[in-house]
Amino acid sequence: MIETMRLVLESVLERLRFQVTTYLPPLLAAMIILLAAYLTAALARWLLNRLFKGAGVDRFLRRSGLAFLIDSSGRLRATRIVSETAYWLILLAGFLTGLSVFNTNLTSQMTQSFVLLLPKLAVAGLILLTGFWLGHYLGRSALVWAVNESLPSPRRIAVAVRIVILFVAVVAAADHLDFARSVFLAAFIILLSGAALAASLALGLAGRDAAHRYMEDKAAREGEGGSRSLWTHL
Amino acid sequence: MSHTVLPADALRAAHTIRQADIVIGIPSFNNARTIGHVTRAACAGAAKYFPDLKSVIINADGGSTDATAEAVLSARMEDSHLLLVSTPLTGVHRLSFPYHGIPGKGSAFRLIFQMAARLGAKACAVVDSDLRSITPEWFDLLLRPILLANFDFVAPYYHRHKYDGTITNSIVYPLTRALYGLRVRQPIGGEFGVSGRLIRRYLEREDWETDVARYGIDIWMTTIAIAEGYRVCQSFLGAKLHDAKDPGADLSAMLHQVVGSVFALMGEYAPVWSRRTSSVPVDLFGFRYDVGLDSIEVNVGRMLSAFRRGCEELSEVWSKALQPETHAQVRALGRQAAEGAADFHIDDRLWTRVVLDFACAHHHRRVARGHLLPSLTPLYLARVASFVIETRDLISSQVEERIERLCQVFEEEKPYLAGQWTGETAPAPAEASRDEQAALEV
Repeated sequence: MIETMRLVLESVLERLRFQVTTYLPPLLAAMIILLAAYLTAALARWLLNRLFKGAGVDRFLRRSGLAFLIDSSGRLRATRIVSETAYWLILLAGFLTGLSVFNTNLTSQMTQSFVLLLPKLAVAGLILLTGFWLGHYLGRSALVWAVNESLPSPRRIAVAVRIVILFVAVVAAADHLDFARSVFLAAFIILLSGAALAASLALGLAGRDAAHRYMEDKAAREGEGGSRSLWTHL
Repeated sequence: MSHTVLPADALRAAHTIRQADIVIGIPSFNNARTIGHVTRAACAGAAKYFPDLKSVIINADGGSTDATAEAVLSARMEDSHLLLVSTPLTGVHRLSFPYHGIPGKGSAFRLIFQMAARLGAKACAVVDSDLRSITPEWFDLLLRPILLANFDFVAPYYHRHKYDGTITNSIVYPLTRALYGLRVRQPIGGEFGVSGRLIRRYLEREDWETDVARYGIDIWMTTIAIAEGYRVCQSFLGAKLHDAKDPGADLSAMLHQVVGSVFALMGEYAPVWSRRTSSVPVDLFGFRYDVGLDSIEVNVGRMLSAFRRGCEELSEVWSKALQPETHAQVRALGRQAAEGAADFHIDDRLWTRVVLDFACAHHHRRVARGHLLPSLTPLYLARVASFVIETRDLISSQVEERIERLCQVFEEEKPYLAGQWTGETAPAPAEASRDEQAALEV
């Protein structure tokens, strides 16, 4: 019994020693790499913040509205974007290098998958950012237009425009990443069909009354001579 | 010179006519009802006042479907012997061509100017095709200062109803006068006389495909003439009576095109206007007299309602376009408008700040221009409503004094404009508090 216990203990200790001697050096190496990456990233960010001016990019950010979109104060600067991008890229590279030190099937696979996925992630991110910007821009256009045309609930119209465009961007990004493609596509089709059906029903059921009211209002306005009076003085 | 937009017919006509001293241009779109009268006035004006000069009348049409071109070509001078003392040496040519490119008044003018340049015209007059009050004397008044007194640009000067031309009175005249230092009372009047020299300058420019192609053309012509130092004068034409606007036309777009052109030209001519600190009167030709005017109905309630909606919905745009102090005052006015219209009033200084803040926001692109200019509409309507309430019981001379006061405020505020305009680090747009920001976000 005691002998069995001793054998088990020895085998556990042996396994532990093996694991420590196998994984501790790479773990230490990975931590050192990560620390070095962190220091390099921080240094790169510090240097870029001081050296890079990027006035032209700043102008583009301001004029395109991206500065306000990403940071609502509008104070987003190219320097910050570049330095933060460099910081995170170096940190990511350090992490992947640290991971590859372990040299196991799992870590190699993880590193490989991540590196392969990276361009796709970048493109998907770009699609989302574009969708976000476009949704914001067209939503605001719809808002201003609806206000000037005296349409009811301009904010709801603007929100609807933003949601539709953002949803399209999400579907496109998911499609690009091969992520739940059918789910997003189905949701998109269902939403679109639902919207079309709702619009048709609304038009069919309320159209007559609305048209009637519109004609009455128009006749009344013309009666008081004010149909175009907002603008006749131009 | 900008690339040729002349249709083949026009090139053939130019080849046949070879040369002209005077070109009279009439842009049109579905104006068959009124353009005959305008053409007859042009024929009579050319024959009566310039009998020894070769004149050509050119109608640039935007694809009318109501026989506008036929109305031009078939217009005859009735009782011409009663109008003319001397016999014209040459007949007055009448031509009508469709213009191509962006549909709009500016594209029509481009064709007219290209024909004038090709024919080597010394002077060109352009007039709207919907005028009911036009007479042959208008052409004398628009062309003679160029032909005999070496002016390059003749702007019109009319009597208008106090509620007519409010975009001129509330934005374009005060701003143009404060910026460039010349008191041209009707900078977007629509009727102009232009010298051959200035026409060539217009045609050299590359911005014909912008808002200039549409309603921005009038202020574009006036601004270039003033800012580039051409000799500018005005001619008194009496009353301007014209057809009601085309019901299908998007008249709010007209406001955006005109104001957009003013702001764009401000950017181009910033070195010019930043040096000018005051304004001077401009020579005015013609005998001034009082005339009867068509009354104009305005619906103040609807204008204020549009303003209230703007205050409720457009704060997210205005907070970026206006300085915090100006925006706060506008919001206070929104609350006042909600309480009642009777004593609604926009102070001249506040209105001036609104316009100047929008100009700076346009320049610094604080807001996308496609959002900025349309968002001015409710504010403009509020200003018109305030003006109507304020001048309801005033006669035209008193109204003119009110406009003069507004112009003086614009001139006083020019240092404010210069401060906002210069420096890439223009004061940050209105930073709403976090709570406000949350409320403003759609």
